[in-house]
Amino acid sequence: MVLLKLEKVTKRFGGLVAVNEVSLEIKHGDSIGIVGPNGSGKTTLFNLISGVYMPDEGRIFLEDQDITELPAFKRAPLGIARSFQIPRPFRSATVRENVAVGAMFGAHGEKMSVDEAMSIADHYIDLVGLGDKRLELADKLTAVEKKLLELARALAMKPKLLLLDEVVAGMNPNDVDKIVSLIKKIKEEEKIAAVAMVEHVIPAVMKFAERVMVMNEGKKMVEGATMEVLKMKEVAEVYFGTSQTIGESGDARG
Amino acid sequence: MKKYIQPLLPVLTLYIVLLGAGLSIPGLWQPIAFIMFYVVLGQALNMFLGMTGYVDFGYVAFLGLGAYGMALAFSLFTDDGLGSGIIVVGFLMAVIFSILLSMAVGAIALRLRGAYFAIATIGVSEGFKYLIEGARLWGGSEGIIISSQLRDSFGSEMANYLSTFASDILIFAIGILAAILTVYTLHTRAGYALMALREDEDAAKVMGVNVTKYKVMAFGMSAVFAGLIGASAWTLKLTYVFPEDVFNIIYTVEAIVIVMLGGAGTLAGPVVGGLIYGILRYYLATVLPGFQLLVVAPLLVLIVTVFPDGVVGYIKRKLKGSRFSKYVI
Amino acid sequence: MVFFEQLAGNLLYGIILGAVYGLATMGLSQIFGVLKIVNVGHGAFIMVGAYVAYWMFVLYSVNPILSIPVALVIGLALGLGIFYIVIRRLIGAPELASLLATFGIGIFIEEVAKFFWGPDHRGFSWNIGQVDFGITLIPNTKLLAFFSSVIIALILYMLFQRTRIGAAIRAVVEDREGAMVCGIDVSRIYAMSFGIGIAMTVIGGILLTLFIPVGINPYMGGEYTLKAFVIAVLGGLGSPWGAFIGGFIFGLLENGSYTILGLIPGVEPFSLTRFVAFSALLVILLVKPTGLMGGE
Ligand SMILES: Nc1ncnc2c1ncn2[C@@H]1O[C@H](COP(=O)(O)OP(=O)(O)OP(=O)(O)O)[C@@H](O)[C@H]1O
Ligand SMILES: [Mg+2]
Repeated sequence: MVLLKLEKVTKRFGGLVAVNEVSLEIKHGDSIGIVGPNGSGKTTLFNLISGVYMPDEGRIFLEDQDITELPAFKRAPLGIARSFQIPRPFRSATVRENVAVGAMFGAHGEKMSVDEAMSIADHYIDLVGLGDKRLELADKLTAVEKKLLELARALAMKPKLLLLDEVVAGMNPNDVDKIVSLIKKIKEEEKIAAVAMVEHVIPAVMKFAERVMVMNEGKKMVEGATMEVLKMKEVAEVYFGTSQTIGESGDARG
Repeated sequence: MKKYIQPLLPVLTLYIVLLGAGLSIPGLWQPIAFIMFYVVLGQALNMFLGMTGYVDFGYVAFLGLGAYGMALAFSLFTDDGLGSGIIVVGFLMAVIFSILLSMAVGAIALRLRGAYFAIATIGVSEGFKYLIEGARLWGGSEGIIISSQLRDSFGSEMANYLSTFASDILIFAIGILAAILTVYTLHTRAGYALMALREDEDAAKVMGVNVTKYKVMAFGMSAVFAGLIGASAWTLKLTYVFPEDVFNIIYTVEAIVIVMLGGAGTLAGPVVGGLIYGILRYYLATVLPGFQLLVVAPLLVLIVTVFPDGVVGYIKRKLKGSRFSKYVI
Repeated sequence: MVFFEQLAGNLLYGIILGAVYGLATMGLSQIFGVLKIVNVGHGAFIMVGAYVAYWMFVLYSVNPILSIPVALVIGLALGLGIFYIVIRRLIGAPELASLLATFGIGIFIEEVAKFFWGPDHRGFSWNIGQVDFGITLIPNTKLLAFFSSVIIALILYMLFQRTRIGAAIRAVVEDREGAMVCGIDVSRIYAMSFGIGIAMTVIGGILLTLFIPVGINPYMGGEYTLKAFVIAVLGGLGSPWGAFIGGFIFGLLENGSYTILGLIPGVEPFSLTRFVAFSALLVILLVKPTGLMGGE
């Protein structure tokens, strides 16, 4: 069953076409990776799905409902949650309050009380391993901790579709492994229907994604099974300009 | 319950001390009433500026409209034999006027982001002043004087009591109401929504916060309190309303300084800010009569550039995690 | 028929005044475009210009057109001073901080003016004849103001398009990080832009005195802050050239509506035009916040 469907979605900034007629289907159960060089439009695509920007052309459906015109705050309750590539915590609030906002206004429903939201928040804070930072101001976290906070906030929203924009970037390989396993585990346990992950860290993509979409200059270049796509010469070329394949290298940004 | 009472304690204690001092020490009532006006004004603006991080440069319009609401009640209904009920009608009109304007401005302007909103509000109070003068509404530039109606309704002794004492007591009452409402809001979903949108509007939206709704709510609440202040601190206290006075931008500036000085978005901030500012202003009025802004304006610049958290914001950060933190929000 | 003649006359006047409005707004847009800071105290700098014109005329018998270089120097000094003392600290700070700081700066300048020169309205009259356009008489001083505005705007245009500084400023507007990488000293560009923006505003204030014979006072700026916002938004906030065009549109609207509102019995058309200006601002912001001239 199709969870999210993009139909020829286009977004322009002035003369620049950041996302160019991208079509994509994400099905229930999917774990999809989205890769592509810097500036290829990955984050913009997430911004279009989560409602930060409205597309200039094309349509977006969530389970048959046309959400193209729906403002961001109405998409969250339908089950779309995302993390920001550059973390955007509520800086003067504690870690706990940050995550609680996700629980309060996400897909749990309007009735969620503040106290309930706090206990939901605690659950996810523990899950991502920020338990001892619970009452710390978000401002005071390290860069990696802020990434984890982004993840916890998105999880607390009880999403059907979870969009993760470079959550493991900047982490050491050990942590990358841990976080990817964690995301896989949470996806099963919390019954998140689908997770889409934008990542330059190729091992993370290989470990996590069954399917990969490659973007280049706003366009969708290829889409297919992870290992097959990553072995393609064309894909390597957009990354390095050489024909060394990505699968052999590690971090796609080199 | 405890989580509401604890942070209210310091604020209410201060109110009681001020009230007690004013009532028992001769000659202190007027200065304390003067300071209380600033404390409550700060609380009112804090509900919007502090909670949302949006600035309304036309805030004084709500004070002005509240003042007009009360004045109109007297000039329209004095002969209807409402007795002291006329004051209730006056407050009601003040509230309705403020709500109407806040909805009109809010529904349009609050869809706009920070700077654009601020730009839109620059015109609101000016626009309103010019509408009243230009269309000769409500007495045009001559304003409304209600001293004779006050005497007709209440007799001269009672009228005098109203403007020299009761109106000040009303300001205290409005302040207490504002404090309770602020604490309550901070602990509800709305409080968290406002925190989120103040910190990062895009992130808040993506997390499901209907930012326009909460901004309009905070704006309306803040406007109503400004209206109540205008009705009592101007119309009842001074017994006249002139557009030049009640739409004077100085009150907007002062309210902003109080909120920023004390700490935007906190409960105790505007109270502390109002107290400091009120005392400062009281002395400035004697040292530099007519030139308070000469001191206040650079003070504002100084606060926002080097001390943006304000006094209470600073203390709050220091107390984070200690057992006193529950008392300072 | 008298009405239409009056309207035509007022519209012509609107175009002439509009050029000055445009010039007086370019600084606001320039500062917003480069620094992303809205100068809420804009009107105060117009007031400074007006006093420069006044004192130069009264004390040294120098006419406002010849005072323009003086305004340029004062404006640059004022702008750079304010930039290095305050604005520098606000780059990248929350919007609230820069809004409140520029608001405070504007009020401070007004209060200083009041402290030294008193609250009274002042004015001077510089009379060098007039031109009969058939529908209306326009004094030569106003025509001079018109041509000066157009010429200064053109000079600025050249400055931006043809010089290295101009290119650097454009690069910073386009892409701050990119400009930094290319070795452009971004903070110097900010300082220059702020200084030039304030200087343009002060010059605009000089030329405006030719339209308000007795309107010079410490608080005169508030009205122009409001007008400048309408104009800047009309032209797409952030684009000085848009603002210059916006000035013409505003001049036409203001003077046209004045004529029409004057037909309504029992109102003060002068106050009402200001109300109209404000309403126009709200409507434009709502319909197309990026301005009529602005892109997306
Ligand atoms: N708000 C915006 N205004 C103008 N241009 C933008 C905006 N957002 C993105 N762009 C441009 O759109 C293009 C795509 O950007 P995007 O952030 O989507 O890339 P990305 O694939 O996420 O890159 P990265 O791997 O570096 O995160 C870039 O050229 C970027 O400069
Ligand atoms: Mg990205």
